[in-house]
Amino acid sequence: MKFFVLVLFLAIIWTSSAQQTISGNVVDTSGNPIVGANVYLEGTYDGSSTDEAGNFSFQTAETGTQTLVISMMAFEPHYEIGEVSYLKNLKIKLIEAVNQLGGVTLSAGTFEAGDNSKVSVLKPLDIVTTAGAAGDFVAALQTLPGTTTVNEDGRLFVRGGSAEETQVFIDGLRVFQPFNATTNNVPTRGRFSPFLFKGITFSTGGYSAEYGQALSSVLLLNTTDVPDEEKTDISVMSVGGGVGHTKIWDKTSLSINASYINLSPYEALIPSTQGMEWNDPYESISGESVFRVKGNRSMFKFYTGFNHATLDIAQEDINFEDLVRFRLKNRNLYFNTSYKHFFENNWSIFSGVSMANDVNEIAIMEDTVDTEEINSHIKIAAKKGFSNRFELNTGVELFSTNYEETYQDSDGFTFNGSYDDVLVAGFLEGDIFFSQKFALKLGARAEHSNVLNRFSISPRLSLAYKSGENGQFSLAYGDFYQKPLTESIKFDQSLDLEKTSHYILNYQYLDNGKTFRAEAYYKDYDDLVKFDTQLPEFNSEYSNLGKGYATGIDVFWRDNKSIGNLDYWASYSYLNTKRDYRNFTEAATPNFAPQHNFSVVTKYWVEKLRSQIGVSYSFSSGRPYNNPNTQDFMGEKTKSYNNLSFNMAYLIDQQKILYFSVSNVLSFNNVSNYQYANVPDNTGFYDRRAITPPADSFFFVGFFWTISTNKTSNQLDNL
Amino acid sequence: MKKLIVILFIAVSISASAQDRYTEGMSKAMQLWGEQKITEASNLFERIAMAEPDNWLPYYYASLVNTTASFGERDEAKLTQQLEKAKEFVDVAKNISPENPEILILEAMINTAWIAYDGETYGMTLSGKNTKLYNEAMQLAPNNPRVIFSKAEWDMGSARYFGKDTTPYCEDVQRALELFDATESKEVPFYPNWGEDRAKQVLAQCQS
Repeated sequence: MKFFVLVLFLAIIWTSSAQQTISGNVVDTSGNPIVGANVYLEGTYDGSSTDEAGNFSFQTAETGTQTLVISMMAFEPHYEIGEVSYLKNLKIKLIEAVNQLGGVTLSAGTFEAGDNSKVSVLKPLDIVTTAGAAGDFVAALQTLPGTTTVNEDGRLFVRGGSAEETQVFIDGLRVFQPFNATTNNVPTRGRFSPFLFKGITFSTGGYSAEYGQALSSVLLLNTTDVPDEEKTDISVMSVGGGVGHTKIWDKTSLSINASYINLSPYEALIPSTQGMEWNDPYESISGESVFRVKGNRSMFKFYTGFNHATLDIAQEDINFEDLVRFRLKNRNLYFNTSYKHFFENNWSIFSGVSMANDVNEIAIMEDTVDTEEINSHIKIAAKKGFSNRFELNTGVELFSTNYEETYQDSDGFTFNGSYDDVLVAGFLEGDIFFSQKFALKLGARAEHSNVLNRFSISPRLSLAYKSGENGQFSLAYGDFYQKPLTESIKFDQSLDLEKTSHYILNYQYLDNGKTFRAEAYYKDYDDLVKFDTQLPEFNSEYSNLGKGYATGIDVFWRDNKSIGNLDYWASYSYLNTKRDYRNFTEAATPNFAPQHNFSVVTKYWVEKLRSQIGVSYSFSSGRPYNNPNTQDFMGEKTKSYNNLSFNMAYLIDQQKILYFSVSNVLSFNNVSNYQYANVPDNTGFYDRRAITPPADSFFFVGFFWTISTNKTSNQLDNL
Repeated sequence: MKKLIVILFIAVSISASAQDRYTEGMSKAMQLWGEQKITEASNLFERIAMAEPDNWLPYYYASLVNTTASFGERDEAKLTQQLEKAKEFVDVAKNISPENPEILILEAMINTAWIAYDGETYGMTLSGKNTKLYNEAMQLAPNNPRVIFSKAEWDMGSARYFGKDTTPYCEDVQRALELFDATESKEVPFYPNWGEDRAKQVLAQCQS
């Protein structure tokens, strides 16, 4: 026994005295030394860091076969297994980890607004503190290139596409009526309060196979997973008021808000007089709620939005002596529920359902139109990361539409229109990162529409190459299909899908607070719906013979570092587009597609006043219109559009903010279009009327108060 | 009997040497940190952490070293790397030891480093998170001097920003100072004990 103890003791002494040296050199794939890498024997404390030349050397008392680990941020860890005595003068090459900081991103065609995204060009706060946007996140997106200013509408017009070519998704599920119901020449707003979202992705083309039924663009909104704190928000505005509350129970949370908007007091003070008068200004009651449960490996969300709006307006019309009365009552109910589960082996499963019920009661003079639309979207998708170099995303979707309308004119003529459709779609897409510098997204989407009995397959491709430390090039191609709009499909269900192909080349440069992007694109439109009457009617002739193109260049520049406290961005879009669609007699540039669009947004933080002052300017060249007194179809252009807006947010204290904004400070008289008489006068001349905004400028004053347990948060991010 | 003693002896000596190894390693890392050898200190804490997967302290220090080094760092690439690393380690520490007030305030400190670097970008999104973290830490350990002091310092920052009176928070700093000596745990070796000097500085500003 004694002998045994002695041997053991000696063995310990022997091993501790027999120190071995482990040494080597660590470089990256281009042979440059890696400084500060951690080199050690697994399971022991023995190790060292590499020096300026990438060299390391340390002593160890370990013996036998050991694992040497070389680890460094942004590189794949490297393992050398061997007898300790052989771990000498090693030459180690570390491979850059992909999907890490500073890697290439698949970003052609997309703008992101988020907290941490590498490709974020806007922060969530920017969306809501842009002068002229008045808290409408869609209006803030209109300061990005690729969009055109169609101020009398309020929706998104992207790269020569009409507003209906853009679709909106919340948490991956379709929103069927993303905008408040309105009438001609009264701009609409997005239905959703921006502060419910943690990230916004706006794609102006070439987007993923996961999304379809949008010819031009998709806007993806992601709701917050876990709110930061409990609070109550109260707002008093010149156009109404609202209350909101967020409650948190450990992993579960609920946010609710309700608002009431009434334009009457404002209109009584500063009436809108240009070409219209209100009988009953816009009034709405709306509410939203989000319920969330976050588990260790799962996320459940349930969103509900409700909106009831009425308006009664009388507008000038060249064909009538008196003002034309228009009444609208809209009720919209929207649900969106989703469940996401992350499995151990890098699989994640998403399932979700969204549903909308939209009811309109419209009266135009003595005629009435009642419509009811029920839409739903069901989606099941799965994602698997095979490594950090390859990720697969696949899913199936089902869209159903049920539309009914009853039209009744003053003579008692009644027309009932309806259509039902079920559209089934599937998608499969892979993201492959060949290296830190080169990545590829390849996918395809298949769709089948029941009512049209049409099947389509759309390939999607996106490539990105990082050319240097801060710059990268991207290429994207894709085919996109969309069902004809309800206005035609309700009358003719033998129509085919409309189609576009996008070709995009993008360059992006990001450097410490500065962002530069330039994107050139070509869009080819085919199978557009045409009809032979001024508006789609039940006895019109319909066809898919329309086609067109759009090509242009979008440039974006942002800098929030060079000048202290000043943040600004500027966008320019050049657009050349012609299309033959609807009732066009030949291919022409539509009214919503001005050739040049420019905007600049500035925000300046005045420390002394605890205020943010914002100024925005936007310009667009003249918009085409058709003058029936000339031979040229759509041959004339309005004068150019100018708008200078100003806003100021003053932090009274941590919890109270006073906000003031005014649009079109310089009162430019903007003309969006001309309406010509249906019949010429007795000299053979078609008389006309300029379509201008109801008022040149709009003022807004609001007071926002947050009551939270910790007394530090405020609603600046809600504005 | 002899056999038993030998076995016992071996067992004790092994555990003693493991204990010594830990103490030695941690002391060495602390020393490197003291010499401002940030990478070396961080790497050594990381090595100890890898070898002691059930102990939150080496992860905590690996994170703390990177966090404190980030204050005042203007190179965005370096800052991002350090803070991402700090966050990675603090997340592991949190997994090993959930509901640990020391880890919560370290997490808040990482956020503060982001805010200090670019308040415009990170202020709005991270300050709410910090408030939540400090409140949580306060609930768990209302008498932990680092918790009281860190929260007071954070609240002072916001109060100063809005031109408000900071004296109520000075009382908290004073209270924290009294607790540094009285309640600090000496049982767990290398248990965090920073903050006293900084608290004294802040209190001096209060009184000037």
